[in-house]
Parts: sequence; structure tokens; C-alpha cells
Amino acid sequence: MHANRDNHLAHASGGVLVTGASGALGRLVLQQWAACESPPAIAVLVRSRARWLELSSRLRIPSDVTILDGDVTQPGLGLTKASRAWVAQSTSAVVHLAADTTFSRPLDLARSVNRDGTRHLLDVIADCPHVTRLAHVSTAFVAGRRTGRIVEAAEGASTADIGWVNAYEQSKTEAEALVRAARRDVVILRSSTVACDDASGVVTQRNVIHRALRLFHDGFAAMIPGGAGSTLDVVTADYVADGIARIALRDAVDGETVHLCAGAGAIPLSELLDESYARWSQDINWRRRGIAAPSLGDLATWELFASAIEETGHARLRQVTQALSFFLPQLGLPKEFVTARATELLGAPAPQVREYWGRMIDHLEATSWRGVAGLSEVAA
Amino acid sequence: MPQPHESVSVRATSHVFPATSRTVSELGDDNALESDHAMLERFGFGSVHVATDETPYDLARSAACNLIWEEQLDPTSIGLLIYGGTPSSMAFASHNNAAEGAAGLCTANRFRFPATRLQYELGLENAAVLALDQMACATLFGAIRVARAMMVAEGIDRALCVASEFYPLLAGREAIYNCTSDAACAVLLERGGARNRIAGAATITKGYYWDAAAMREEVVASYFPTAVHAIRRTLESANWCASDVDWVLPHNVSERSWDILLRLAGLPRARLWSENVARHGHTLAGDNFINLRDALATGALRPGDRALLFSYGYGAHWSGLALEV
Repeated sequence: MHANRDNHLAHASGGVLVTGASGALGRLVLQQWAACESPPAIAVLVRSRARWLELSSRLRIPSDVTILDGDVTQPGLGLTKASRAWVAQSTSAVVHLAADTTFSRPLDLARSVNRDGTRHLLDVIADCPHVTRLAHVSTAFVAGRRTGRIVEAAEGASTADIGWVNAYEQSKTEAEALVRAARRDVVILRSSTVACDDASGVVTQRNVIHRALRLFHDGFAAMIPGGAGSTLDVVTADYVADGIARIALRDAVDGETVHLCAGAGAIPLSELLDESYARWSQDINWRRRGIAAPSLGDLATWELFASAIEETGHARLRQVTQALSFFLPQLGLPKEFVTARATELLGAPAPQVREYWGRMIDHLEATSWRGVAGLSEVAA
Repeated sequence: MPQPHESVSVRATSHVFPATSRTVSELGDDNALESDHAMLERFGFGSVHVATDETPYDLARSAACNLIWEEQLDPTSIGLLIYGGTPSSMAFASHNNAAEGAAGLCTANRFRFPATRLQYELGLENAAVLALDQMACATLFGAIRVARAMMVAEGIDRALCVASEFYPLLAGREAIYNCTSDAACAVLLERGGARNRIAGAATITKGYYWDAAAMREEVVASYFPTAVHAIRRTLESANWCASDVDWVLPHNVSERSWDILLRLAGLPRARLWSENVARHGHTLAGDNFINLRDALATGALRPGDRALLFSYGYGAHWSGLALEV
């Protein structure tokens, strides 16, 4: 889908500074913009120029992208004085994708990138007189331990009283608060967890969902939190990237929050398990093992189970449970992300998860779970 | 599936523990535990029974004799004897002679069978004799399954199931975070009995987990979801739902694991009869049936109640039984 400058690139009259361009989503956004009839002028902030050059060459991202050496964890983004002056004069919009998306990071490390990195960016663009748009890419799971309908607004984020499941969620919530307090020209794009590249089910970037699935597949999951109404909200990378490319620079979204989520198309947990185990059962060698799908229990039961495992002191079981504890509790906190504004802006909702879940399971199996840690790696 | 007029009941049970007891703390001092004894105490264990001079056969015979005497039975009225537990020559060896007993399995002593000796010494002259092995803590469930089917198929009125099992001498006293006791348990089944009617039963066996020592993580992970399935199947076979269960008579594994399993199975914690976990620990021979007797004796379990029995045995077997008390 090609963006239209009249609307989707309204704030790209000057240059567009992109952080996190080398990430899984950032590269797709740049590819989409590059395919426009009148591509915006792009500058990317990168920690490793060599890595960026290799990546951009491989992905055929146009070579006229301006490369700025820097690091969001550093004050002033680690830019030289000259680079900072260039940014001040040449930038009309900023798309902030840089993030540490590892769920298991300690809070101080997660904050270093996600909260403090955002603060450093805000400091820099405060000196950029031509900037009329900051697109802040966040996570839908700033909702933390909230349950029920999660609105596309600041109120959808959790608070310290309600809490979060992991430090990633908390640090991204803190970053959202910073950008809201600092600017009015902000649009916040909250992505759900990316499950696979697109509806083909191919998985390029493995994450905690794939690790959890592998532990299920290998028979190391006794239970997961969740009940009859629990769902898993995941999205494809191409949907999120398309959403960012088409909304980040468009006009008339100042101050808005948009959910790039499956929403009503999330997959019920019971269906997810049935589909996954049915796919795996097609392998007779797997089926003969008689591995049972994990039992569903409420969050209190999960916590009881996790604490019992912790108490036994069994190193491998503890490490598996700890690894899952950064993600699984979300399943016991049923929520539905409202996606009305995203659907309105993009013209269609995200693909329903059930449309591609089975193909994703098949892809992981067909690639022998390459890149997805099993018990020995998780517990290493 | 037996028809109503062919129903089989648990008429009575009896059990025997060895004379010596050890506290969990003492077991810790003896290096007989893999885990910290304080953790096992938090998991509900207090003391266990440890055979020293007794043999598995001694306990089996005592349990069966007590049952026959208590029920004032004519031994010749018993048409089937099923023995499960410590096999052959090992059944006649005390812990002090366990190695000698084990060595006997490699000689003609392998054919010295506790099951047939029981038949002779108890005067069960009309009883067909079978023995079961390799079901560990689910042995009595397997014996009852076989006995029930044979009673209905062959018109046998009474069957005696006896299990006697010692935890292996060199294996310490802990089995996956559970403290173990030595014991024997006898169960008398009767066709058409009025009390403790077997309303349903289910067993799930997963041979993939046959090597429990090498597959500890998998066994722990598979235990809960498969136990939930076995419990549901048992309830379905009895046409019960979870809310019909008045008491859960457990195998005496850690109370912590029961807390988790009950929640997953949708059974209230208050229905777990767990008084024997602390004082007896986990026997391989028949926790559930020891608990049946004791729960009846205390008055907690009363006629008309519906009791669910569940056990897991190495191998791996998940077994449930539904009893109308």
C-alpha cells in the first residue's frame, strides 16, 4: 500500500528523523515510504553505521537516507553539535521507534532505553523549530494489569496502582507520559505484540510468544493463566508497519492515541491451544508423546504454581517459569483493545489472528524452531 | 461398563504401616531428602513410616488378615486375589536384606511369589490369583480396574486387592518433592454392595514419561494438565460434575500441588481430605484407600457422600475413581 503525500505525509514537508530504523518495524516503515511517489527525506539515528549500511543495502532502502551516529540512551541522543544543528534545521517530523522490547529486562535497563531515550529525544526536538509532529511508537500493553476494554487514549495506560506485568510495559507507559506532557503535536501509535511477518505466517523476528510456544510444544508447560474469555492479541509486522507509515505523518491526528492491535480479531486462548496442538499432532512422533496442552487457571493459580516452583529450588523449572512470567500473566488479565480509530484511519481492521495463526505454527515447526530458545537455552 | 445390578463396591479396606516413624527433619539430618526439609514441611509433610525389620510381604499379609478378620469373612468366599507391589524375592526381604532380595531376582528365587503365598496363608482356596507391577502409586487403581471387570465378566462376588510397596532402599525418602512412607493396603471389592459403590473410573497412561528420573521437568509439567483430564474423565464416567464431589480423597503428595490441581480442576480446596499428608506422607501402596478408611472413621466422610479418589503413579499413570459412599 502506497502512502499519499497529501494526507499520509502531510508533516513530511521537511525531513523526517527516524529512531529505531534498523528494527523489525522501522525497516518496513522506511521501505514503505521509499515506495511512495514522492518519498520523504529521511534521516536515521543509528548506533552502528556499518550495521545500518549493511542492512539498508540488503533491504534496498534508498541510499539517500541521511545517517546520524547516535544513541537514544545518551543525553542529546549522543549527536555531535553539528549533527544536532543539522537536525534542528532539517527536521519537520520525528518518528520514534527505538525501544528495548525485551520483556525480561530489569526496570532500570528498560527505562534506560524506553523512558530516558524518549526524554533525550524530547530534549533534542525541543530545539527544532520546524518540527510539527512527533509520532511515538508505543505498545498496547502499557495497559499493564488493566482488564476489560482498553481505550485508544491516555486512560488506556496502566498506573502504579494497577501495575504492569513487566518492566517493558512500565517503561513504555512512562515514556508515553513524557511525550504527552512535552508536546501537543504527538500521535501515539500503540502496537500489539508482533507474531509474524504477515498473513503467510513467516516469522523473521522471534520473541517471547514463540519461546512460550516452543515450551508448550516440548511439553514443559503445566498451566497458563487464562479463562473462558481470555484472548491473545497479536498482529503481523506488515500491518503495524503499514499503520505507522500511514498515520505517523498524516494531519489531523495531533494528540491522538491509536491502537494497532487485533482488537476484536484477537484469538481466544482455547482456540489458540486447540489449533496449535492440532497442528503439532499431525507429526506422529510428536503425537505419540501424549503431551497435554497446559491447563487454564486463573492468575492466582498461576502465581501459586510459580511460587511453588520457585520454592522447590529446581533450577531449570524456575528459569522456565521465570521466563514465562514476563508474558503469561497478561493472558490472565483479559482485555480487548479498542481499535475503532485505527480502523477508521486505515480503512480496515487488522487481520484476524485465526487467519494466520496456524500458518505461523507450521512455519515455526517447519524451520525446526530455529532461533527460538527451548528449555536448554532458556534455562542456560 | 457394568449395569446397575452388576455394580461393584469397596466393601472395606485395611492398611498397615511399619513400626518405625521418622520426622521430615530427621530425614533431612539423615540425608534422605533431596530438598530442604523445611520446604517439605511447608508443603505439608510431618513424618513418614520407614520399614526396618518388616518385609513387604509381612505388611501385605497383616493388612489382608486384618481386613478378613474385621469383616468376619469366610476366606473361601473370595474368588479373586490381586497382589501389587514389591515383586518376587524382594517381597520377602527387609530393608536390611534388600540387596539379597534384589539379587534373588537373578536366581530361581524369582519364582517365589508373594501373591500365591498370600492365597495359601490366608486360606483363599477359591481365589484366582493375579499380580500387577509397574504402576507404582496407581497400583491399587489398576488392581481394582482389573478386579471390577473380572467380577462382572466372570460373576465373581468378592475380590481382594493387596498392595505392599517399600520405597527403594537407596532412593532416599523423597519422590519429586514428596516424602514417602512404606505401607501395605488391602481393599475388598464386592459385587452389588450397598456402600462405596464404584460409580466411575478412568486411567490415562503416557508411556513417553516412563523414565521419570531423566524427565523430571516434563513429568512435573505434564502432571497437572493430565491430572485435570483424568479427573474430568472420572467425573464424566460417573455422570458427575465437579460440584457433585463432596470429598476428594488424595494421594498424599504435597498439599501445595493439591492446592494447584484442585483450582485447575474446579474443585474447592475445602473438599480435600488431607489430614494424613502430615502424619503419614505419601505411600506407594494406597494413600487414597487409607484415606477412605480414615475419613470414614473420623466421620468426615458419611454415607451418601460422593468421593473422588485420584492418584499418579510413576510410569506414568494418572488414575481416578468415583465412589458413592
